[in-house]
Amino acid sequence: MTTRRDFLRQSLLGTAGLTVLGGLANTAEAAAAKEPIKLTILHTNDMHSRIEPFPDNGGQWAGLGGMARRAALIKDIRSKEANVLLLDSGDIFQGTPYFNFFGGELEYKLMSEMKYDASTLGNHDFDNGLDGLMRQLPNATFPFLIANYDFSKTPLAGRFAPYKVFEKQGVRIGVFGLGIQLAGLVGDKNFGATEYLDPVAKATETVAQLRGAEKCDLVICLSHLGYKYESAKIDDRKLAAQVSGIDLILGGHTHTFMDAPEPIASPDGKPTLINQVGWSGINLGRLDYEFSPKTKRAGLASASVVPVRAAC
Amino acid sequence: MLQNSFRTALAALLVVVAVAPGCQRAAYAPTARFAPTTSQPVGKTQAEDPAVAAMIAPYHDKVTTQMQEVLGTAPMPLLKAQGESPLANFVADLQRARASQVLSEPVPLGVMTNGGLRASLSAGPVTLGSVFELMPFENELVVLDAPSAVVQQLFEYAANIKMAVSGATYAVTFDGLPKDIRIGNQVFDPNQDRTWPIAISDYLASGGDNMGFFKTIEPRHTNVLLRNAIADHIRSLTKAGQPVTAKVEGRVKQ
Repeated sequence: MTTRRDFLRQSLLGTAGLTVLGGLANTAEAAAAKEPIKLTILHTNDMHSRIEPFPDNGGQWAGLGGMARRAALIKDIRSKEANVLLLDSGDIFQGTPYFNFFGGELEYKLMSEMKYDASTLGNHDFDNGLDGLMRQLPNATFPFLIANYDFSKTPLAGRFAPYKVFEKQGVRIGVFGLGIQLAGLVGDKNFGATEYLDPVAKATETVAQLRGAEKCDLVICLSHLGYKYESAKIDDRKLAAQVSGIDLILGGHTHTFMDAPEPIASPDGKPTLINQVGWSGINLGRLDYEFSPKTKRAGLASASVVPVRAAC
Repeated sequence: MLQNSFRTALAALLVVVAVAPGCQRAAYAPTARFAPTTSQPVGKTQAEDPAVAAMIAPYHDKVTTQMQEVLGTAPMPLLKAQGESPLANFVADLQRARASQVLSEPVPLGVMTNGGLRASLSAGPVTLGSVFELMPFENELVVLDAPSAVVQQLFEYAANIKMAVSGATYAVTFDGLPKDIRIGNQVFDPNQDRTWPIAISDYLASGGDNMGFFKTIEPRHTNVLLRNAIADHIRSLTKAGQPVTAKVEGRVKQ
């Protein structure tokens, strides 16, 4: 379908692009005329040690999932996309005998082989206690990001960062993690002296850091809080409504299958998208973004007849 | 910039959402341009990555060899369900028996919640794999010496969800409270000054599933994993020529 704007674009790229920009030979403007930088975010949640597909007699999800298949799918996407971030929202552990036999070793090794960029911690990732988690960490080449658990009084002190900034062709993507309240959900001895901190306060603080000093262009929250509770318990939707500056919440815990990301208005009016893709690696979430440089001076864009996003 | 504006407009037609932050220090403005499917199924038509499949293979072989061991036979399925269920009765009963054997003393009560059991047992051969499915957690069988007041709290918790307690019967009042509690056929007196040993998982003993009333009690260890207790019990039934059975028998009266 050719829209009027497509037509305009063709015209502008064909004329303005070649003549005006060509004359400027300015890197900023030249960059603006290039294809936007693309980013493909791939994500999973609650994989629950589902190394192999559900067995063919495995009920509702029979024959679905499987990490060797997921690896091939990811590899295929990587071969087509320059910038890929592969993320997970926790509960990697527990659910099949692979976890009982090997304690999560194979899960972490396979995720490392698939080149996961980051994960957060789910409640089941504590199922073999802090020691059990610590034993498997050397098998993971990716970081576990968690902003609202304080491990300082545990053997895992200093092992986890609240966030990580990834840079793709100059675009800065801030990723941070949030975990669910452990008390009542995880046996006391399994989380020990790990302190749970308010997710809203920690998210607000972390986003300020990512949007401020870290100059992030996109902010992603890996959340194991859960998609939605009728009660007052914090969930991804409440988080989105209470904290500004998060572009995307990749959720987990509630094993929610979402056909499309859900936008929630944050306090500053801008939408935060929430996505969650079920569990057990039945699905691989895929969200594509494009990034265009913001123009700080009046250039070609402001002079044109096309609508332009407000320049800062 | 120009192109981004155009793409934004185009993307709006595809029901996508622009998420550009406002006047922030960031240098780039993001625009969501989602593919028609944001949740891609990992199905049977997806080929496997051979390198990853090769990494899995040796682990797979170790697991399957052990999981296929047949422990016993169930003529009927042992289902898990809300309220009193065959599977929870089966497990809570064997917890009492095993704890009693390990500690060489009577254990009058046993507790297992529906949520603590992760899968029902199908009719037919019961394999080690099926025991793993129903009890995947590394939970230890422990014994709590609960004062009568805490036992009363246990029954209040149980009555609220009509959960059976092994070794006991009770009825539920119209407003969800326990009455006519009997432990080993003896009427339970919540004011009696004594403790009641309860065979339970360390998960529940430490307050899991909202059993916060147990948290102050120091558990006695059996050093037996609950899963092993279940597997061992089924093996011993088979050895004695007995099938794997359990039923709802009115431990909770309406």
